Amino acid sequence: MAEDREVVLKVENLSQYFKLGPGAVNKAVDHVSFDIKKGEVFGLVGESGCGKTTTGRSIIRLYDITGGNVWFKGKRIAAGTLDYKEAIKAAREELKTCTDPLRKDKLAEIIKVNTEEMAAAKRDHKNADRKLVNEIQMVFQDPIASLDPRMTVRDIIAEGLIIQGEKNKEVIDAKVHKMLETVGLVAEHASRYPHEFSGGQRQRIGVARAIVMEPSLIIADEPISALDVSIRAQVINLLNDLRKNMGITILFIAHDLSVVKYFSDRIGVMYFGKMVELADSEELFRHPFHPYTRSLLSAIPQPDPYYERNRKRISYNPVADHDYREEQPSFKEVLPGHFVLCNTEEYERYRREAGL
Amino acid sequence: MMNEEKKLQVKDLTISFRTINGKVQAVRDISFDLYKGETLAIVGESGSGKSVTSKAILGISAGNAIVENGEILYDGKDLLKITEEDFHAIRGDKIAMVFQDPLSSLNPIMRIGKQLTEAMLLKNKANRKESRKKLDESMKRIETDVKTVGMSGVSGDFDFRQLVKEQAKFELPYSNAHASAVAADKACEDLLLSIDKEVDIDFAGDCAELVEYAQNSVDRFVVKDAEAMKALCSRIKSESKTLAALRRKKNNKKADVTIDTTTLREITQEIKDLLDAALAQDTPRFFHYACHTMLEKQPLDDLPAAELNEITKDSADCDIMVKFKSQIEGILRYSSERSLEGMEKAIAQLDAASAAFAGDMPPEAEAKKLWTETSKAVEDAIDPYETVKDSAAYTFKVSLQNALSTYYDGIKRNASEEKRFARQTARYEAKVARGRTPNGKVAPLSLVDLDMAQDAIAHILSNMKQQFVERTEKVKGFDFKDRAEKYVAWMRDTAMAENHILTKSVAKDDAIRIMEQVGISEARKRYRQYPFEFSGGMRQRIVIAISLTANPDILICDEPTTALDVTIQAQILELINGLKKKRNLSVIFITHDLGVVANMADRIAVMYAGKIVEYGTAEDVFYSPAHPYTWALLASVPDLDSKGKTLEAIPGTPPNMIYPPVGDAFAARNKYAMDIDFEMQPPMFKISDTHYAATWLLHPDAPKVEMPEIVKDRIARMHRKAGEE
Repeated sequence: MAEDREVVLKVENLSQYFKLGPGAVNKAVDHVSFDIKKGEVFGLVGESGCGKTTTGRSIIRLYDITGGNVWFKGKRIAAGTLDYKEAIKAAREELKTCTDPLRKDKLAEIIKVNTEEMAAAKRDHKNADRKLVNEIQMVFQDPIASLDPRMTVRDIIAEGLIIQGEKNKEVIDAKVHKMLETVGLVAEHASRYPHEFSGGQRQRIGVARAIVMEPSLIIADEPISALDVSIRAQVINLLNDLRKNMGITILFIAHDLSVVKYFSDRIGVMYFGKMVELADSEELFRHPFHPYTRSLLSAIPQPDPYYERNRKRISYNPVADHDYREEQPSFKEVLPGHFVLCNTEEYERYRREAGL
Repeated sequence: MMNEEKKLQVKDLTISFRTINGKVQAVRDISFDLYKGETLAIVGESGSGKSVTSKAILGISAGNAIVENGEILYDGKDLLKITEEDFHAIRGDKIAMVFQDPLSSLNPIMRIGKQLTEAMLLKNKANRKESRKKLDESMKRIETDVKTVGMSGVSGDFDFRQLVKEQAKFELPYSNAHASAVAADKACEDLLLSIDKEVDIDFAGDCAELVEYAQNSVDRFVVKDAEAMKALCSRIKSESKTLAALRRKKNNKKADVTIDTTTLREITQEIKDLLDAALAQDTPRFFHYACHTMLEKQPLDDLPAAELNEITKDSADCDIMVKFKSQIEGILRYSSERSLEGMEKAIAQLDAASAAFAGDMPPEAEAKKLWTETSKAVEDAIDPYETVKDSAAYTFKVSLQNALSTYYDGIKRNASEEKRFARQTARYEAKVARGRTPNGKVAPLSLVDLDMAQDAIAHILSNMKQQFVERTEKVKGFDFKDRAEKYVAWMRDTAMAENHILTKSVAKDDAIRIMEQVGISEARKRYRQYPFEFSGGMRQRIVIAISLTANPDILICDEPTTALDVTIQAQILELINGLKKKRNLSVIFITHDLGVVANMADRIAVMYAGKIVEYGTAEDVFYSPAHPYTWALLASVPDLDSKGKTLEAIPGTPPNMIYPPVGDAFAARNKYAMDIDFEMQPPMFKISDTHYAATWLLHPDAPKVEMPEIVKDRIARMHRKAGEE
């Protein structure tokens, strides 16, 4: 359904490494690529610590990314230098032992190009258009911790506007009231403090704070995990309305797969910093290829006692399930629009399983 | 599936909290039973009183909580009335709890291993002491009763204790070694797989773990050849050291080395073969062996389990055992006859007391006398050979005393309170007469409603009588042979517990196994770490592991998996389910995730605003829900097939329990609410023997209301799915 729509966000080989100490590196996000089209909801799932949240935060430039590019509306808003550095290093190593003059020229050329690109990436990253980045907004997981208890709702929602240089109080108030109404609160709530609200209402304030900046992309980082069951539906319905009425694109990060399936058009599954499978949500549930996805899908509890008593959980053991002695895996398109992290042998097997 | 044995009974529990703004009614008049070996799930949103109920069961309510009414009966005690000292023996040991917040339930300055084994070791000591006491009492009672009945005793040298001790001598080391062997086998398998797939291996770490397990698996009924195992272990140790050194060299690029794992593979395979052979043996029958030793009066021959099983197969039914069992049967028959007599007497006494306490109450001294007599009669009616104390008779004395003192204290206090009230009213009116408007109104502070106190007394008496009447019928239909078997089994378990000596190293092994069961990798390394080195999910798993080590009777899980992701959640739920089956554990599972409930629950209680609104088996509640709140809950969660439909969110928020609504608490958020819902609380309507719901919609005069489409669709889909498979 989202085939020929404009691509809003393009993430290319995004890597985010954290230094842990001398020589030790935590590859929180490792060469992840995906793109999000206008008006769609892209779900990102995976177990805790697999890098979902880090991906979201890297996109919005809360971290300086280590490698890869993030393109938003055709402009590069974040870029890392990892891949260039590695290419240069490899070329220099080879240069030391290389004797063929033709090859030598070629290597020198590689080093030159990469150095230039690296400088460009650094420049782009530093001079990224703030106005453009502001079109990406984030809704945080914990509605209690993410709202300042000493600010009124009006101040919380208006803070972004004021930082952007909006000085006219009337304009601000009008905008705040409009946003409150959009998220299902009333204008009187503006003068209250966060503690006077229930969990669901607080999350609505979080959403209002994000949409007051008129974003075209919202990164919703587990927006409903901390909420009560009866309230979750309220927030999901709210996000759904926003998307329909305002055409907002949403990157939805969660670990509750039933909600992700209900809400998303496409789903990316992450495992230990790598994207292992990416497909349409229906397609993913119909043909899960990667063993990790299968194990994840088999673990979803359903509100149905009969199904639950007969559910068999498939466990995932990365050592036993893959054989990567011959060839390292890469991200391949097994079915149209359905990508899986696999090597050639697995690729053939998945194609056979799908009946191709 | 349903077991008749009630483990825990909660009756008419009402709890409030004192706050600055007034009294918050957290739990309002709820009752439920927990049977042995079942999971009761309590579902509801936050603030519905789920956690308050579970904390009251454990006696850890907050300081400002007031228990206004009710009883929690467990093992012949009312948990709301026993002292803190008595609670020490129950909390954690008999009733354990997995808390919601893992951060606050771990000690930050103690190693994880210590925290895991500490309770195990302490409990083991206490358990042995208690079991010894219990068994002593039981033996003594049997001895005196045998004399009173005048039965011929079992031959003099039969010592039940000695028999079980003999059994324990083999069984305890076996069970530990067997578990280690299973773990070692798994470790071998993993290592072989890693070698075959040429994955990077942590040679030193993985092999050290394997060696520890393998060494522990030496026992005469598991890995018998200790020498061979020791040799293999030392070989694998040195090999892994060499490989680790090579790996270091390679990483430092000091030399061009190749890592050859063929030898390592061979040794691992050898260990695995040895373990496989050991695990393939027959399971030894230790009780038979013990009987055999007792009969033959000489130690067991050094033979494999299969042969020993064959030799000793008849010893459990030997003359002495049969005689012993028939003796127990006789005593049980005698004791229950005596208890039957006692019950008849007690019923008469209860009738008399009921008559005396009806209408005008007798003077206090007389009431006290009546209390002594009645409670004595009730206590005499108790069968001392009951191993399950689920009758109200055990707590009768205390609860009657409390009810009586409420009444008579009330009489005394009310007089002065009324005087005070009259005085204040007079002063108030005088002020008004002088034309001033005083602040506030005068209200009586603590007037006891005497009628209600009297009703409570009558209720206790009639309840007890009814239980005795039911019980008389039951006792008449007893199968004493079966009961004797059960009693002997209980004695065996108790004696086993008496002999179960837990050493520190065994406790460590147990703890590491449990850590692995809850999905913590590198458990042996993790065992020595501090809580801050664990992530949130890991900490939660540790908390679950701690509560499982105590081997409790009842496990209360307060949203244990809410903070975890699906795969780990599924693992933990499987673990709790497995333990429940293995140990016949009763579980109270508190959650708001309906998927988890469907997985875990045998029965479900749906709570809203401090009341149970629906109560039934899992099938009842999921396939034919009756209360609008249950409908709303089911409609508000998306399942895997509900794409594209709008979810039916429940509007509004739960009511403020400082001013609890007069009628049905859910009425304000309920689109099916009728006028009566705002005026009167609905009673529990019975739908079937197991299914109850509190909604006026079930009243015969109510208009017929269909459940929402989305829920109906879903139930139809579930039925279809169930039919297909």
